[in-house]
Amino acid sequence: MLLFQGLVGLSEAMYLWLVAAGLSLIFGVLRVLNFAHGSLYMLGAYLTYAVFRVAGGSFWIALLAGPLLVAAVGWVLEFGFLRRVYRIDEAFQLLLTFAFVLIFDDLVKLVFGPVYQSPPTPKELSGAVFIAGSILPAYHLFILAVGAAVGLGLWLLLERTRFGLIIRATAADREMARALGVRSSRVFTWVFVFGAWLAGLGGALSIPVRAISPGMGELIIIEAFVVVVLGGLGSLRGAFLGAVVIGLLHAYGLLYLPVFELALAYVVMAAVLIIRPRGFFGVREA
Amino acid sequence: MTFHSGTTRRGFLKSSALALASLGIAPRALSAPKLNLKKPIKIGCQTILSGPLGGYGEFMKKGALLAMEEINAQGGIGGSPIELNFRDEELKVDVGVKNARYFVDDWGADFLIGIDSSAVALAVGEIMPSLNRILIVTHGATEKFNEDLVFKRQIKQCFRISVPVYQDGIASAIVAKDLPVKKWATISPDYEYGKTSWKMFRATIKKLKPEVEFVAESFAKFGTVDFSSHISKVMAAGPDAIFSTEWGGEAVTMIKQAKLFKVFEQTKTFMCPMGAAMDVLQGLGADYPDGAWASGRYYFLYPESAENRRFVEAFRKKWNSYPSYVSETSYAALHAIKKAVEKAKTLDIDHVIEALEGLEVSRPAGPCVIRKEDHQAVYTVPWGRIRHDPKYPMPILGDLRVIPTSEYYRKPPFPPVEA
Repeated sequence: MLLFQGLVGLSEAMYLWLVAAGLSLIFGVLRVLNFAHGSLYMLGAYLTYAVFRVAGGSFWIALLAGPLLVAAVGWVLEFGFLRRVYRIDEAFQLLLTFAFVLIFDDLVKLVFGPVYQSPPTPKELSGAVFIAGSILPAYHLFILAVGAAVGLGLWLLLERTRFGLIIRATAADREMARALGVRSSRVFTWVFVFGAWLAGLGGALSIPVRAISPGMGELIIIEAFVVVVLGGLGSLRGAFLGAVVIGLLHAYGLLYLPVFELALAYVVMAAVLIIRPRGFFGVREA
Repeated sequence: MTFHSGTTRRGFLKSSALALASLGIAPRALSAPKLNLKKPIKIGCQTILSGPLGGYGEFMKKGALLAMEEINAQGGIGGSPIELNFRDEELKVDVGVKNARYFVDDWGADFLIGIDSSAVALAVGEIMPSLNRILIVTHGATEKFNEDLVFKRQIKQCFRISVPVYQDGIASAIVAKDLPVKKWATISPDYEYGKTSWKMFRATIKKLKPEVEFVAESFAKFGTVDFSSHISKVMAAGPDAIFSTEWGGEAVTMIKQAKLFKVFEQTKTFMCPMGAAMDVLQGLGADYPDGAWASGRYYFLYPESAENRRFVEAFRKKWNSYPSYVSETSYAALHAIKKAVEKAKTLDIDHVIEALEGLEVSRPAGPCVIRKEDHQAVYTVPWGRIRHDPKYPMPILGDLRVIPTSEYYRKPPFPPVEA
């Protein structure tokens, strides 16, 4: 039971991890706190659902195409709007990204209507397995696998590729990187697009098991912020650990401290911030 | 023809109205009594219009708009047309109170209707005497609204046109006592409505069938997107029946996830008092497990009356969807206001309250009386089992069980519920 509840908590954490990873990556490189990141998660759900309907009910095609569409939206956001506010006060970045939260919420309401939508779980994954004497849905295992794969992929990308090297260099010191011939504006665009794709992937993966509704973005962005702050702004390792901690706190909190469960995540966040103000893996500001 | 001057336009409208009337299209338009009340009569509506439960509010809005259109086509209320204004309640107490004050102080509302959250209904109910307006709640179901606010504390401005939590917590137990299950567990919302219904359910079924056990409970906060750890926690206790007052998009998510966890194979009974709301039926579609027990505050296939059929058809024609229960309750609220004002022949609040007390309202949900003592509408809503019927684009309820209201409506002086 103990192990099982933990596994369930971990599977819930994976959606959060995908959103937090993009949020943290974008903050680390662009220094923009993207409020609209939750909306990209929501768009991932809606666009994947739209493709699912158009593509005649194949979840797998939809899962491939939906997040790519979100990445395209991310490109428009960065190239068309965000790029213009990098040099001015951070408050304007917050205002701009928050405006997109409202715009996207109303947009999906307008296009898809207010009714909750949810395609059936794909047949291949609607089964379940016995783990520790309890039934765990195959879909939850799938989510755990995707979360782990994205984690591994991100690590390889950042540590083992030239593109990763450029990203790390730009994050560490954008002036120096520029002086060395890195076109930072192009790096910014790609990082944002990639972050948007991650959020879109989270949203896409959620649709067979969570009702799609306007406003779902705001619900996840708050938790994603907690995760990113816990893990350290800009740190991917931190975001992963933060998501796992929040998922486990939720699952075990329900079991042992149901009355207190709501506050648990925030109490832990406050405690971490007091002891380590930069979060688990945060780096000192240069 | 030009429409530059107001008189020309009015004249044109009047003559076309007469033309229509003479064709027999709007026969009742001429029979509406002229009361020379203020024009228009303004009704402020608040409901949840955003977030994962926002689908609810849209259905409420559609019911109210349909009623407005029909009432105004029949000459309004005593000759005065109705004007509606909608605001998002956000299920937040401070927002609900602010909306009510805005409606009355700034917009000039004559009546207030709506409210989905029990906590908001109680908070807005509190300030109705100072606002000096009538509030008709169309959804929020806490028994504290009619029992405490109206009956015990005599806040006469408060009414409720939708069924109270008796439907969720008491009628459910009367249905459940006949089912071959003993070990109950719940996954329900972590606020007033979820807690109260579970308490009433336990108290009622314990009395009717003393051998039942309550093996686990898990309460989910508002805005829960993943019920997995609630489900695994509750299932670990080995229940053979689940009672859940989750609603809206959260009910859709919870039921989908419960299905993945094979809850419906491992347990025999699933009961969801809000499970027959149209947004849940449409949201789950083919995923809704057969045989699940569900109810609501009105169900569009009950009763089989001409009035109900006409309402369902009019709603479908206007909105291209079947009505949810909040569509019916907001529709009924506006018709109740019309009937009461035309009976009182004035907008004076004391007279309208008097007219509403004991008023018989004929509504799509069937005959209904507004109980004088606690201002609670008394009418029947069936429980039923989910069934998939190719004739409908969403699952419907079969095996309808209609329990007489005399068996499950709590009565004055409302003894405390002991669970």
